[in-house]
Amino acid sequence: MGETEAVEIDDILDDWFIESLKSYKDLHVYQLEHPTQIIEWTSGKTVCVAGYSSGKNEILELRLPLKLLADEKKGLCAERDFKVVHGGFSEGPVCCLRHIPGTRCAVTNDGLNSDLQLWDLGADDTDVIRKTGSLPGTSVSQTGSRIAARLSSSPEVLHGAQSSAVQLTQLGTGQTLYRLEVDSTEPLSSLKFVSETAFLASCCDGTVYLADTRTSAPPQASPPPGECALWWTDASAAPQCRVIRLSSSGQAVVSDLRNMGGAVCRAQLDVQTSPRKPEDVTVVWAPALDGCFSVSGLSGLVQIYDTAGWRAEPQDASPLFQHAGHSVSSQHGDGSAPIFITTHVWHPERPRTLLSAASDGSVHVWDWVDPQTN
Amino acid sequence: MPEIKVTPLGAGQDVGRSCILVSIGGKNIMLDCGMHMGYNDDRRFPDFSYITPNGRLTDFLDCVIISHFHLDHCGALPYMSEMVGYDGPIYMTHPTKAICPILLEDFRKITVDKKGETNFFTSQMIKDCMKKVIPLNLHQTVQGDYNMTPDRHLGAAWIDKCRPDILISESTYATTIRDSKRCRERDFLKKVHETIERGGKVLIPVFALGRAQELCILLETFWERMNLKAPIYFSTGLTEKANHYYKLFITWTNQKIRKTFVQRNMFEFKHIKAFDRSYADNPGPMVVFATPGMLHAGQSLQIFKKWAGNDKNMVIMPGYCVQGTIGHKILNGQRKLEMEGRSTLDVKLQVEYMSFSAHADAKGIMQLIRMAEPRNMLLVHGEAAKMEFLKGKIEQEFNCYMPANGETTAVTTNPSVPVDISLNLLKREMVLGGPLPDPKKPRTMHGTLIMKENLVSSEQALKELGLNEHQLRFTCRVQLQDPHSDSDTLHRIYTHLKSVLKDYTIQHLPDGTVMVESIVIKVSSSAEDANAKVLLLSWSYQDEDLGSYLSSLLKKGLPT
Repeated sequence: MGETEAVEIDDILDDWFIESLKSYKDLHVYQLEHPTQIIEWTSGKTVCVAGYSSGKNEILELRLPLKLLADEKKGLCAERDFKVVHGGFSEGPVCCLRHIPGTRCAVTNDGLNSDLQLWDLGADDTDVIRKTGSLPGTSVSQTGSRIAARLSSSPEVLHGAQSSAVQLTQLGTGQTLYRLEVDSTEPLSSLKFVSETAFLASCCDGTVYLADTRTSAPPQASPPPGECALWWTDASAAPQCRVIRLSSSGQAVVSDLRNMGGAVCRAQLDVQTSPRKPEDVTVVWAPALDGCFSVSGLSGLVQIYDTAGWRAEPQDASPLFQHAGHSVSSQHGDGSAPIFITTHVWHPERPRTLLSAASDGSVHVWDWVDPQTN
Repeated sequence: MPEIKVTPLGAGQDVGRSCILVSIGGKNIMLDCGMHMGYNDDRRFPDFSYITPNGRLTDFLDCVIISHFHLDHCGALPYMSEMVGYDGPIYMTHPTKAICPILLEDFRKITVDKKGETNFFTSQMIKDCMKKVIPLNLHQTVQGDYNMTPDRHLGAAWIDKCRPDILISESTYATTIRDSKRCRERDFLKKVHETIERGGKVLIPVFALGRAQELCILLETFWERMNLKAPIYFSTGLTEKANHYYKLFITWTNQKIRKTFVQRNMFEFKHIKAFDRSYADNPGPMVVFATPGMLHAGQSLQIFKKWAGNDKNMVIMPGYCVQGTIGHKILNGQRKLEMEGRSTLDVKLQVEYMSFSAHADAKGIMQLIRMAEPRNMLLVHGEAAKMEFLKGKIEQEFNCYMPANGETTAVTTNPSVPVDISLNLLKREMVLGGPLPDPKKPRTMHGTLIMKENLVSSEQALKELGLNEHQLRFTCRVQLQDPHSDSDTLHRIYTHLKSVLKDYTIQHLPDGTVMVESIVIKVSSSAEDANAKVLLLSWSYQDEDLGSYLSSLLKKGLPT
């Protein structure tokens, strides 16, 4: 084993790098030992990542670089690294991880069946993440469960692998507090709370159910907004109450949560890859940028769109901003299989800060500059 | 079972003052002798009282090994050798020996002159300490503070699959995931560019070596790429010193640097010129690299004083600043500085702290551990509560210990020492007869082991050691009742022994003796008793067992 070749300075100063001086306020690039498919906020400063290989995997809670979070004193802070504040081991892959707000609990699913594992993320006196128990799955399925949680007085988790088997379970007792009454056994692409009690169960075929855990009344169902086999959905909370549905062919449909049948606006996005599995694509509304959403998995980039100019008739839409960091870095690799972005998230408060992860183990933290303000 | 004992005196479960005692093969070794930069009292030094409560350390230590010149690994060395007392050898690499005294003197000056400390080592002590240093080459020692991705200057750390009994590693950075070098450089270029674009000046205080050259190469390439015109200056003192050191230590740098240095003088830049202090007053944007690195004196401080009042300007601190320096103060956010003569300086320029430090991270440390494949891992330099996950992770593959300061970890080893045998000795053993060497039938042999080479014959050992050979012979008198003549008795002895000792060489010699192997038996008549015989047995040390057997046998008398 000899020296790793030093990278030529000229290689570094490539077009993307030079461009990045103006297009990003902050840019951090990390290399995890193992790639992650999940990035989950556990506080305003910490995220969890975890491996998804078939054997034993690590779950890590990382503290974001202090430099990123220091606002006025940014210049005086040299700390650019992630700090592993807690770590633990999972016997199998971690395909979904949800933090229970207000607790130090997390719930995971391995993507192989619908069972859930429960974890204690650890406090200040320890750096170990420990498994505390498990919850049996809600259905016999070969796809993984989606998981959702929101702040509540006693820790609860909403979970299910398909639309007929969604339930709200109390963590301490294992008691089922609510069940979604739907006959269709369509696999779910996401589960999300839109208020303290209302949630959206989105199916891979594009059907969306809006339900309330307080009532046993049947949910409002909204059929797929277009012709396509595979859809992803995200909902933004009040006051926007927008729902976006995106198909694998690039059709984007924005609706109002209170009127799911009608479309507020549509657009056609450019698709470079051909996503085939639910975990290939991530669609998220920006929490602090009105009308903006991000998507990864349609190309090798994370794309940010602004729906402000969209109309009822579908038109081609161009992204407001694209993060090409993952594909650019991978060109320096050994030319093997192209990498793909496994997931991305927005910072809950900082308007333009995102984290993205790719199949090569890279994790990027970036704060982009709105090109329209330049 | 031979043990290796490891006791951290500093950096066991805390960060700073690296100092680890190792007892191995009967020797006591001190690894590193660092200063804890966070304390101003005795807590900044390792606790040497563990070695001996008072008095000098010379008799208790066989040697000291210093891994590298960072102050948290060598900062307490002059204190230990000159104030506590140690006169034995201190080992370090050539570059470390060259750079250590400079850093120690700088550090001493700041601590004593700026902070007014009195109980501190003097310049003379640093000099006396360095006289005890024996410089070594790389294969005799391994760098500390390693990094798995290459610095532009140093190569990436790599290690043979040496399978050590113990691998000692710090853990602080094992829970860090480092931002890429590319992004650090991006931030540096972005800050410089933004300042230049608004017409400001950038001051970069640097130490003579290391970052300065790397940042220069980066800026030069960037200037070329972006077609920038603002001047970049490099203080000449820096160039000379750096050139000098690079020529001395070129073999320690990586392939790329070596190539660059050979192909062109690394300091012949197109956009970077030698600095003259009058340039500091020139209008317009510029970038200046100047020493010293912590802004505590000299040219960098002069320039800082001129530029501090303008908010368009920037100072970029590329490394750690010791307490007491202006660098440390401005990095702590101080915007008003008290200068000599009671004047105050308003700090209006932008202050940027950039870390280009060379530590490894989680991935790098695990890679290195897996490459070396130790039998045992020992973690130092971290807090116990924050190392449990790392310990668990390492324990998936290796034994792992994490002792606190003053706690000893003992690891058993099985050191096998392969030894050759000299041809003469082997031949002699063959000549003595008996069965051929057989691993299932071990046979005792005599020789002298000289650890430097091989197993040799005693004669050769004596010759090499300059000693005279001494022969040890035992004699024994046995009284026998036997009326026969001396020669008859002797013959009877001969016959008796031949029947009893069938496997041995027994000879009846014409000079009136019987020999069993090398044992000589003589018979003479007793002076007091006509029917008694006195047998004289004599044998050499090698036949002691047989000799004493024979004497017991003969004491029983002869068969009739």
